[in-house]
Amino acid sequence: MLIRAASITAIAKRAAWAALCAAFILQPVGAQSTNFKASAGSKSTAAEAAVGATTTSSGDVAKTLQTAAEALGLARWSGVGGQRLPEVDVINTMEIWGSGTTYSPGPSSKPGEPGTAFKTEYHAALGYNPPAMRVEATRTALGPAAQPGAAPQHTIEVVREKYAWNESELGAGLVPGKGTVTPAVAAVNARLLQLWTLPYGVIKAAIAAGGKTKVSTENGATVLTFPLSGLLSDVMVKATLDAQNEVAKVETQTDNPAHADLNTETEYSDYADHGEILTDVKSPGRIVLKQGGHPVLDLKIKTLDANNPYLIFPVPANVKTAAAQ
Amino acid sequence: MTRYFQSEKLIVAFALLCLLPAAVFAQNNGGPRMDHENTLPPTPVGPTPMAPDGHPDLTGLWNGLADNLLGVPNQMHNVGIEVGTDSTRDIYSGVQIATWPLQNRKRQNNEQNERAATLLRRMGSNRPIYKPQYWQRVKDFDANSNEEDPSNNCMPAGVPRMGVPSYIAQTPTYLIFVYPGQGGLIATATSYRMIPTDGRKHTNLEDLDGTWNGESIGHWEGDTMVVDSIGFNSTSWFDQLGGYFHSENMHVIERFHRDGNTLSWTVTVEDPDVLLEPWTTTPRVVLLNPDPKAILLESLPCSERDFAHVVTKEHH
Repeated sequence: MLIRAASITAIAKRAAWAALCAAFILQPVGAQSTNFKASAGSKSTAAEAAVGATTTSSGDVAKTLQTAAEALGLARWSGVGGQRLPEVDVINTMEIWGSGTTYSPGPSSKPGEPGTAFKTEYHAALGYNPPAMRVEATRTALGPAAQPGAAPQHTIEVVREKYAWNESELGAGLVPGKGTVTPAVAAVNARLLQLWTLPYGVIKAAIAAGGKTKVSTENGATVLTFPLSGLLSDVMVKATLDAQNEVAKVETQTDNPAHADLNTETEYSDYADHGEILTDVKSPGRIVLKQGGHPVLDLKIKTLDANNPYLIFPVPANVKTAAAQ
Repeated sequence: MTRYFQSEKLIVAFALLCLLPAAVFAQNNGGPRMDHENTLPPTPVGPTPMAPDGHPDLTGLWNGLADNLLGVPNQMHNVGIEVGTDSTRDIYSGVQIATWPLQNRKRQNNEQNERAATLLRRMGSNRPIYKPQYWQRVKDFDANSNEEDPSNNCMPAGVPRMGVPSYIAQTPTYLIFVYPGQGGLIATATSYRMIPTDGRKHTNLEDLDGTWNGESIGHWEGDTMVVDSIGFNSTSWFDQLGGYFHSENMHVIERFHRDGNTLSWTVTVEDPDVLLEPWTTTPRVVLLNPDPKAILLESLPCSERDFAHVVTKEHH
């Protein structure tokens, strides 16, 4: 009886997967819009061009954002604080573990690839209040660049609000004699962009953009367009939702030539609750990031802890000093 | 695997049944149960009564909120999140949090409710700053709190995790704090503290045997009662959630400030052995029971909760 039940469950799961895959395949993302070209000083024009013909009312925008927030498991309520409390955005901190391939300038691993490919183990700890992210990567070169016996590269890159730094070990620079910390002032914007182009960051930022957020339909898919704020205020975001209202594709664009590295395109797919402790927070199982049309990162998510884990990002004193100069 | 899954469902159902007595009990603890539409702190009403020595009189039954923790602020408030009917604010950072009106709320089942509760209880930004070598330990404790929580098995919560007292009696030389226990699944033992306010000094730390509540001494700073405590064991955690462990060198400073029929409680935790800097909670505000005849009812016996909580880590 139990085996039969298990088989039925397995068949049901396969059917669900098939439906999900079909939905992804049939989903006309249509996000390669050639008219998503923000021009300097004309954000609204760019936004209007990007959204195409259908710009919806503020009520429609709010409804779309709530639906997308619920699809991700971001908009939630519970009787814990009172049975008549509204839904709120419950996501603050999360931790992601994945593996895949990253690319950086250098000899190509194989024809058609833009640079050196690295087998990469990826671990990100992040938070939105305050905005912060710590990415720990262990990379081993593939192809011609691979050095037999070479030790993998291990990096820890951190950003918090207007500060960015690299750590030799977790939390370096906070306790005397524990590791070294190197300010990375020039990397602040690119690292913040990683945070705000994750599906949760997209929904939060679209909500924060208020009346500047537009909703349209492109080839049957819902598209959100909005500017980021703060240090990234010259970046426009175009986010395409899939049939389940999950963020499927995020394109960012700026006309500021000094920020060319902020022109990105990220695809998210294979959404599921990837937590060991389930949270009903959906996360993508695959992340593909491109810059200038070339892959930068292709990641499979192993685990995502969305349970607001204890993650903190204290800014080392020398990083504050460097930022003030 | 399937057998386990089915057993798990049965045990979860049983655990939910176990929760019922606690919920029923919470509605009969002497205060009006409020079906909260927000977690905003109560607005002070009326004058602040003064004791003969000229200081505010803290005496009273402070369970007027009468929610699921015997009148102390609910857990959303405890993490510093003020949820209004159409807006939400993180008190510590001041950040506005997206809020969707009640009438548009998505329906959810009990399991979804529990998972959401786990997230809601941890979404606040005001977190103690541990030394980096302890970051993983805190995470592990919190994630595995169904097994690691030192207050399991009816052990004391300790100071300051025990929160705001439900009852305070103030004399010229002592404060008496009473913390009723809670039976059912939310199991804590009844506890009390007798706090001298006669100007005495702390015992030398090395002469104190570490305890759950430590040695507490109170004094007035203006209209604020400051209770200073040292001499703890290293067994307890210092906040309701989060796996926030501490050493025997923990020093706790509680500040009580009465404003009319409200009492604000703020705690600073110092522990240079494990923390990079002192940590101060966001203020937690309780309400005087409006019924002058209200008394603290007997608590249900504390029942060990391992059985229910070993099932899943999703609702702790």
